[in-house]
Amino acid sequence: MSELKRTQLYDAHVAAGATLVDFGGWEMPIQYPTGIVAEHLYCRSDCGIFDVSHMGRLDIEGPENVKFLQHVLSSNVLALDVNQSQYALIPDEKGCVIDDVYLYRFEESKYLLVINAGNIDKDLAHLYKEAEKFDVTITNVSDRYAAIAVQGPKSKDILKTLAGGGELTAENVKNSLGTLTMEGRPVRVAKTGYTGEPIGYELYCDSADAVYFWNRLIELGARPTGLGARDTLRMEAALPLYGHEMGPCQLGGEIQAYASPLAKFAVSFNADKGDFVGREPLRKQFEALKKILNRDWSSNEDLPYRIYPICLLGRGVLRAGFPVYDARNGEELGYVTSGTMIPYFETEGAGIESVITEKTAKRSIGLAYLKSHVVTEFEVEVDIRGKRVPAVITACHMRQDAPPYTRPILYKKTEVTGPSQVTDYVGKAKELFARAAENHIWRQEQCINLIPSEMTPSRATRLLQSSDPCGRYAEHKKQKAFDDADIPYYQGTKFIVACEELLVAEMKKFLGAAQVEARCTSGQMSNTAVFSALMDWKNRVDRKRQPQRLGWIMNNHIVRGGHLSAQPMGALHDYVAVDPVTEKQMVVNFPVYPDNPYKIDVEATKKLLDQYKPEFIVFGKSMVLYREPVAEIRKFVDEQGIPTTIMYDMAHVLGLIGDHFQKPFEEGAEIVTGSTHKTFFGPQRGVIGVSYQPEDLKWSLWETMQTRTFPGSVSNHHLGTLLAELVSAYEMNAFKDEYQKNVIENAKWFAKCLAEEGMDVAGCAADGYTETHQVIVKVGYSKGPEVAQRLEENNIIVNYQATPEEEGFTASGALRMGVNEMTRFGFGKAEFQRLAHLIAECVKGVDVKDEVARFRRDYTEMKYCFNDEEMREIMGSFAGAIGL
Amino acid sequence: MNYPAELKYSKSHEWVKMEGEVAVIGISDFAQDALGDLVFINLPQEGDAVTAGESFGDVESVKAVSDLICPVSGTICAVNEDLADSPESLNSDPYGSWIIKVEAITDQEELLDAAAYEAFCAEEG
Repeated sequence: MSELKRTQLYDAHVAAGATLVDFGGWEMPIQYPTGIVAEHLYCRSDCGIFDVSHMGRLDIEGPENVKFLQHVLSSNVLALDVNQSQYALIPDEKGCVIDDVYLYRFEESKYLLVINAGNIDKDLAHLYKEAEKFDVTITNVSDRYAAIAVQGPKSKDILKTLAGGGELTAENVKNSLGTLTMEGRPVRVAKTGYTGEPIGYELYCDSADAVYFWNRLIELGARPTGLGARDTLRMEAALPLYGHEMGPCQLGGEIQAYASPLAKFAVSFNADKGDFVGREPLRKQFEALKKILNRDWSSNEDLPYRIYPICLLGRGVLRAGFPVYDARNGEELGYVTSGTMIPYFETEGAGIESVITEKTAKRSIGLAYLKSHVVTEFEVEVDIRGKRVPAVITACHMRQDAPPYTRPILYKKTEVTGPSQVTDYVGKAKELFARAAENHIWRQEQCINLIPSEMTPSRATRLLQSSDPCGRYAEHKKQKAFDDADIPYYQGTKFIVACEELLVAEMKKFLGAAQVEARCTSGQMSNTAVFSALMDWKNRVDRKRQPQRLGWIMNNHIVRGGHLSAQPMGALHDYVAVDPVTEKQMVVNFPVYPDNPYKIDVEATKKLLDQYKPEFIVFGKSMVLYREPVAEIRKFVDEQGIPTTIMYDMAHVLGLIGDHFQKPFEEGAEIVTGSTHKTFFGPQRGVIGVSYQPEDLKWSLWETMQTRTFPGSVSNHHLGTLLAELVSAYEMNAFKDEYQKNVIENAKWFAKCLAEEGMDVAGCAADGYTETHQVIVKVGYSKGPEVAQRLEENNIIVNYQATPEEEGFTASGALRMGVNEMTRFGFGKAEFQRLAHLIAECVKGVDVKDEVARFRRDYTEMKYCFNDEEMREIMGSFAGAIGL
Repeated sequence: MNYPAELKYSKSHEWVKMEGEVAVIGISDFAQDALGDLVFINLPQEGDAVTAGESFGDVESVKAVSDLICPVSGTICAVNEDLADSPESLNSDPYGSWIIKVEAITDQEELLDAAAYEAFCAEEG
């Protein structure tokens, strides 16, 4: 083995008792004494570290480095900002794969290309040859740096400890990069990996520091993991490996690039990318793939085989090379490219409450290269040394969308359940009533509700909601021919039409809006109607071409509390454009202060406004501690002459509009949307308000919003709740000053009390933690769901919430609480102090259920509503009159 | 590495323990260590005839498959079915985890005693 190359960490592997093998000309650890199975499981449960210093690392510099990379790689290099990385292929002229690579942009003008160890010579020969046509320098820096992959749920904590608590990468998302020092040593960090872990990093450090970091990582709880477990981890994640799922094919020739499902992400045919090596054959494969995904097999000759996850159902172990047959007719379909027996942790329970146990099991899974007409759930047989063993094609072996842990997806046949045979519907109805009563009493008399997006409506609101209009229709539309008079489409609607006019007037007064649309039945519908109207209005001058979508749009990132409905995955979905250069959705997020991610950084925002000139700015959050800087941004865009539309989605804070919080229209918002049942008094509906006047350019935008509401979004606008909203608006306009002042004071006080109880309250103590109804408490990374569940068992209802540092709701480490509903039930300072203590006790594990129920029993009478003697009498006789 | 003195060993790394007329067969500590984590075993059936020097089943580690070579000829009279569910016990307790028992023995391979086998392994390792 003397001629084999050794990495900077070779001595450490030998000292750890590793079994060393020849891997692509390198003497590398295949496993350590604990063995592959234990290493695999430890990476899934805690943190595995991998010496990946054998991989080739090339610096790509020079004036034409981007042009060169666009030419030799499959990806769109222009999509890569500084501190981002991307997966790519090095295609050959036939549309097959010379190597699969990762491209990193740590610096403005230099790219780092990481290639497979076994392919270094082949890749370099190809790259040097292609580089002759470009003004570019390729430097092999493989010896200069060591590379350590740090993968698994605990990897972030371990690296943050090394980094002294600071952020590791520019954004807390996959493929983001960072350059920092750890314990005085320079290091580059990439949030990338080859294990399928949702939390995983790769470190690039100076060769001299490799052993130092390796040992420190072990001291902090990571365990060395060899190439054996690296292979099983990537196989479970269905990630391709060159030499198995790419490169030479067992059936002859080479495997096509689009055989691998990752090619869809790795290949770009962007116009700005221009021609590149392999473009035409890749294009042909892609056209075939598009048909194949629609189960049209007419172009299969252009992409005859694809790579699929395969799961063995019978006894045995899948191995690379085993032939695979169609179980129905025995037709040979292809062969297994990778396979083995892979361990996993068993889980108990279902959904968000499922618990990963310490019990482990194994399954034989792998990847197979099969004819392209094969689809998920296809039943096959694998020839295991002469024996045909049943297997099935699956969509995936594992999912990583519930961080911090991966979840194995075990194959099970989908069971189709027939309709219920029960016919005792009277019995069902009786049972339903019993359960509904139990739920009502529990939520209204025994639970303390702190969900900030909820509100109990008053008796007046609930009564009106159930009265006659609740089953009626009252569609109406303004008609130009009748001088914009509203034309009703139904008879018998005079009362409710008049009430809608009264509601619009009350809401105008409350919002400070010039115009109000009150027919939306939810906040999300309000947003959809506005987004649809904006896009329609953008295209109003030229109706003959394909309508253009909106972009750029500036909003709050969802992990920093942005509304789901104002995200591309929410109501923006069908209205946001894709940038032709970067091929990404044209959304840019408000920057926040590094030390206070709950607050928009106005100066940094101004720079982005200058750079992107967004045509649409959406303020508003569902995790909201601060006022939004509407006035500052309005002033700036006006001064700079940036043509834009400013909207404030006030869903959460609608009921706080006024002197104690914000007056959006006075500050310069043009559009306000919201839902009427969070800090507002209910019932559950939506609203749109605008500042536009008939002489304004955007008056026609307002008209479009009305037509995108009806008939665009809603036909029956739920007249029971419309009527109820009128009395809620009366309540709000009558009591808002006292209610809003108390809500905000209570929130600040509650936050302070929780902090004094030793809880980690988010936000800034100097600002009083909050300027809204919300209080955010951190309970430890990914502990949110568990703590929220414990509180619910103790009659305290809160939301678990991901903070800006966390990867998604399953990794939530915080609780989101609102004081609005309990304030309305009469809670003041003494009550919130007592509640803070009960929460702190409960989080520590003390059972407070009965005490919470006793506490709540004394606060069931609603304040800030009409409840004098006369009003009670009126409501009593109304209830009798309508038979309730 | 452990080489119990009361056992005999084949050069293909199986151990044999004679219990009267019956040969109890397993794999050695050296074998399990070299194979790594065992994740699957293909067991023969009771009543199968086995031949000295030929395969009677196979074990699979995460990385590879290895044949189990029978050190004696005869008829299988017992199979340790527990191993099908927990092949890893061959790693954790190689001498406690017998695989098959063979009776009506007619032939056997050259078997080594513990000292000779340890020397043989030292050469191989």
